[in-house]
Amino acid sequence: MATNPMHQFEVHRIGPEIKIADIDLSFTNASLFMFLSAAAICFVLFLGTREKKLIPGKLQLISEMFYNFIAKMISDTAGSKAKPYFPFIFSLFMFVLFCNMLGMLPYSFTVTSHIIVTLIMAIFIFIAVTVIGFLKHGFGYLKLFVPSGVPIFLLPLITVIEIISYLSRPVSLSVRLFANMMAGHTMLKVFGGFVISLGMLGGWLPLGFSVALTGLEILVAFLQAYVFAILTCIYLNDALNLHH
Amino acid sequence: MTDLKDFKTRLKIAKKKFKNNSIITNNNENSSFMGTAFKLGTELVSAVLVGTIIGFILDTWFDTKPWLIILFFFLGSVAGILNVIKVAKRMQQED
Repeated sequence: MATNPMHQFEVHRIGPEIKIADIDLSFTNASLFMFLSAAAICFVLFLGTREKKLIPGKLQLISEMFYNFIAKMISDTAGSKAKPYFPFIFSLFMFVLFCNMLGMLPYSFTVTSHIIVTLIMAIFIFIAVTVIGFLKHGFGYLKLFVPSGVPIFLLPLITVIEIISYLSRPVSLSVRLFANMMAGHTMLKVFGGFVISLGMLGGWLPLGFSVALTGLEILVAFLQAYVFAILTCIYLNDALNLHH
Repeated sequence: MTDLKDFKTRLKIAKKKFKNNSIITNNNENSSFMGTAFKLGTELVSAVLVGTIIGFILDTWFDTKPWLIILFFFLGSVAGILNVIKVAKRMQQED
């Protein structure tokens, strides 16, 4: 059981079973780790911004770095019009980052390695961006699907293709994060299993790989949170500054 | 305020050191290559997936199995290639 590399992704209930109208709302290990990452974010940011020193301490430095990082990313990719959406993108980035990073701890659970979690976030972003686009441009937002300079007889085909391309956004957004996290964690577990099965004699090589992979996974955890946030910014840019 | 002055000089020295040390920016670029490579892959696959799913749904609606799923598979592939071209263009702009 413990050597099964997929065992780490199992969701199990913690505490009593809660059922409301046939929907299982029990507290699971996934909910626990979502709660933990949200609490960790609050903890770091609260402590970091409590003392506003001119020469920042470590926690203040980290909080300011996160803030600057996201603020710069938004202004670079989506322009100044996207400033009102800073809180959303900041919380999104922090949540994904902390979920990924907490998943790197041994015996922990990676929330973002479940496609339902990433898909819900991606669908929420997708719907929000679409609503923002329609609110800002009215039906002019539909111009996104009709690129200019296309011969009239090709237009229906191109429009269908553009719509498929638009609809594929939440899928690619969620699958990327989910696949990266799941593949990485499975690989870590597989190499960990090799260490056990090869024993003292041959186990050193996979152990070395495990160490290297852990470093790589931490990089991937950060990178995927970054990619998730920057793609949200890019989609937001499409909705706010419509030009085709 | 002596604290502040001290800090300013230290900052100047640190900035000078930072300028000479270009490894940091280099490393950053390197790490994002894998991310962009994976981005291109999922961009292609997801459009094919969405196209096929749309085809499947329309097929069950209009009872025209299997023609629409075939048509939308190809449309999805085209959309995927379009996605990849868009992302590649964006990457070129950033460089």
